[in-house]
Amino acid sequence: MRNLARVRAMFRSLLRRKQVERDLDEELRSALQELRERYESRGLPPEAALRAAQLDLGHIDLIKEEVRSRGVAHTLDTSWQDLRQGWRSLVRTPAVAAVIVLIFAGGVGSATAIFSVVNSLLLDPLPYQSADRLLFVWQDLTRAGYPRAPLAGPELEDLRQRGTLFSGFGGIWANTVALTDGTEPELLRSGLVTPDFFEVLGATAMLGRTFRPGDDAPQAPPAILLSHAVWKRRYSADPRLVGTRILVNGRPTTVIGVMPESFALLLPQDAAIPDDQQAWVLLGRNMLKLPRQQQFLRVVGRMKPDVQLADAQREVAAIGERVGREFPEYGRDGAKFYAVGLQADATREIRPALLGLFAAVCLLLLIAGVNVAGLLITRATARHHDTVIRIAVGAGRARLFRQCLVEGLILSVLGGGVGLLVARGMVTALVSVRPPALARIDATTLEMRVFAFAALLAILWGVLFALAPLTQLFRTTVLGVLRGSGHGTAGPAANRIRSGLLVFQVAISSVLLITSGLLAKGFYELQRASYGFNPEHVVTFKLSLAGSRLRDPAPIAVFSTELRRKLAAIPGVTAVGATSHLPFDTVPNWGSPYLPAHESDETRAGLADARSITPGYFNAVKAELVEGRWFTDADTYDSLPVAIVDTLLASRLWPNDSAIGKQVKAGPATTGRTDVMLTIVGVVRHLRHREVTRDVREQIYFPAPQSLRNPMAYVIRSDIEGSDVIAAARSIVAKLDPTLPIYDVRPLASYAVHARATRGFTMVLALAFAASALILTTIGIYGVTANNAAQRCSEFGVRYALGAQPRQVAGLVFRDAVVLAAVGAAVGCFVASAAAQLIRMQLYNVGPNYLPAYVVGAGTVLIAAVLAAWIPAWRAARLSPLDSLRAN
Amino acid sequence: MASRSTELLKGTVDLLILRTLELGPRHGVAIADRIAQITRNAFVIKPGSLFPALHRLEAEGFILGRWGETPEGRRARVYTLSGAGRKQLGIEKRNWARISVAMGQVLEAE
Repeated sequence: MRNLARVRAMFRSLLRRKQVERDLDEELRSALQELRERYESRGLPPEAALRAAQLDLGHIDLIKEEVRSRGVAHTLDTSWQDLRQGWRSLVRTPAVAAVIVLIFAGGVGSATAIFSVVNSLLLDPLPYQSADRLLFVWQDLTRAGYPRAPLAGPELEDLRQRGTLFSGFGGIWANTVALTDGTEPELLRSGLVTPDFFEVLGATAMLGRTFRPGDDAPQAPPAILLSHAVWKRRYSADPRLVGTRILVNGRPTTVIGVMPESFALLLPQDAAIPDDQQAWVLLGRNMLKLPRQQQFLRVVGRMKPDVQLADAQREVAAIGERVGREFPEYGRDGAKFYAVGLQADATREIRPALLGLFAAVCLLLLIAGVNVAGLLITRATARHHDTVIRIAVGAGRARLFRQCLVEGLILSVLGGGVGLLVARGMVTALVSVRPPALARIDATTLEMRVFAFAALLAILWGVLFALAPLTQLFRTTVLGVLRGSGHGTAGPAANRIRSGLLVFQVAISSVLLITSGLLAKGFYELQRASYGFNPEHVVTFKLSLAGSRLRDPAPIAVFSTELRRKLAAIPGVTAVGATSHLPFDTVPNWGSPYLPAHESDETRAGLADARSITPGYFNAVKAELVEGRWFTDADTYDSLPVAIVDTLLASRLWPNDSAIGKQVKAGPATTGRTDVMLTIVGVVRHLRHREVTRDVREQIYFPAPQSLRNPMAYVIRSDIEGSDVIAAARSIVAKLDPTLPIYDVRPLASYAVHARATRGFTMVLALAFAASALILTTIGIYGVTANNAAQRCSEFGVRYALGAQPRQVAGLVFRDAVVLAAVGAAVGCFVASAAAQLIRMQLYNVGPNYLPAYVVGAGTVLIAAVLAAWIPAWRAARLSPLDSLRAN
Repeated sequence: MASRSTELLKGTVDLLILRTLELGPRHGVAIADRIAQITRNAFVIKPGSLFPALHRLEAEGFILGRWGETPEGRRARVYTLSGAGRKQLGIEKRNWARISVAMGQVLEAE
């Protein structure tokens, strides 16, 4: 009731302000009249009566003001006034306002862009049910060079049987399957999974179902689960597909379901399970019974509800320890299992980069903030006189405070708005250059959380820095300023602050420029780095024989030789070969155990990357033969089993001796034949297959006929356009056998580019941020110098009047700025050398004290500073003495 | 004396106005007259504080102002106590009683 009346009164005073004013006016007039008549009736003459009545009533306007100041309308009114005044004062110096808004937009925009990346990668949970319950289980084989290794089938069984804190463990292994129905054969990236894999993961099918226990029973019909993309493209999104049979690897297989479009397997990058798998089939039960030395299963476990991560991790480690003691296969070292949170592990490698980026953005925000504060302070200083007069005539400090706030808010809203546009552009740019390890950035959108972040940031920041000038304001004593010069020049304190800010931001941009220079140099070194092979002018394609008529070694060898002969006959082609695994490929390639011939203790087996290659492969990739010979067509299935090893393996096993003629025993799964003794016929310079920056793992190569692999990647070196080679190759394959699928047609160099992508991404980002920092700093130096020059205008006039030359006046303006910039750059160099120690891991072949980076980085900032200070100095030099004296 | 009392009793203007209007609708000058009359000129509320107070009370919804006529036939804004105002008056009366008892105790204490 009362509130209703209040609201009514509020609306009345708001909507009918004129009426309320008129009422008040009339009421007071009427009261005056009444009082006057009263005095008259007491016998006072009319004039005296009026005066007495006026005296009683007091000042009518004051009463009105008093009444008004209590109304809602009044509050709105003054806010509106503040807003208009704030806007007017910003517009009065449009250049400053525009610069501030731009700085704001740059700062808020880049922070928001990075936040949206952080949001999608680190904060958004993986798209599985209760994803925080999921763990990924690794095995520590550091002894053999694999700190993060997968598990063997029996080891998965151990976890299942002994784990009490888990509701399940699922395993997956990446492979390929060939769809051989219809007109065009196609090879799909597929996953071989345990029946409970999807249940453990917490992912369900869009159509049909995923696998369930029992699907892998020996007599159960083969089943396949398809990705949304394949279902849509190859089967035109036909919902009746589920339940029908299609030909997979030549076998009729039932389609049991289709996964939703949003489903992706987001396992750790080095688990080497591609996240764009296209189909899933079941792991045969016999694969889970393979020996313990064959570690190939990527295992995901789901913790029971309420189980703590640390407890679950302890349990997994304990199981590993017990298993290692129980089974002799592990030898003296035992087994080490460890579990990590799936999401934490997936972002393990990106996290430091992202945090580094966040730090860079914070620096950038600081620079931008410092500039805005600096500009606002100089502007406030210029308006000092004006402000002081307003205080003198009675403007409350609260009102001045409010005005500063309103100005800050206007800048925030404008800057934040433009900043969002900047952020949108940056996110788009980031997504387009992101490395595969950051695939989830794709999901990055400017959603509500990010929007709220930007808004909060803009407003907080704007208000904070808009209030910076107040520190000056509240120190103001009216008398002091009025009595002083009257020119409103800044005091020494303010100048010191401004100088400090300038040094600070020059230092920060020097650090960013120097470190990004180091990163760029490292990246350049990386591109020139020798991989042990040359990927330029080489095209590759893959060919699968699964589902074809060719099954036995002899006809496959004949086919392969024939195909290579025809490919080599393409005009312009200089070398042709094939390999089971391309360098930097994501095809799973787990190390194979081998044993030197004189060694009998199986637990001392080494692990090496095993690749099956044809003659011509090493020529096509231009690998270097250190000794011995390459494989030839004379190395057949029936001839002496031979191998080529790399320099790492050769120098470790026979450091003082030639490896040629020595023998190693290959593990049973390595060549497909049991315990073969291989004679080494050649030593090849180590090829960087896995990492571009260092030599990882020893390598053994087998002749393809002695170690059959499918699919094979064909590698063609030529002098002509890659696309012409591929066109010719396609028609050759089609003539040989039209049912064979060709896929993954790519230049070999693209695999290397792919492998370098994360570092390239880091470098691009660092450079982008350094460039923004440089621009912001330049603006800042310009702003400070220009303002200083403007304030000293009358001083210059006096100097001119006393006979100073324009060059000398310009020098005054110039020198200050450049000296400060030089100090800042020196500080920056110092800090950068410390920062470079922190990013040493990111630097390839570059010392953290690589001098040119420092010279160029600091030099660039200094040049920018000189240019920025030049303009105001030049302007000061062109002042006419009279104008500068008149300026105040 | 009067001016000192006004100083001291600034907060009680509302109570005085509400109490006066409880006796019947009145216009501005008549309210001041009535207060002066009852308190035998102890409290003289100047128009300078009367009118702002009236408008504040109206904005709070305690009283209602309408254009009407004074007994002398003059056009004036006549104020009436609203239901909310009556309740508020009760609250302020109790407050005042508490204050005056407390003040009395302070003054009588040895």
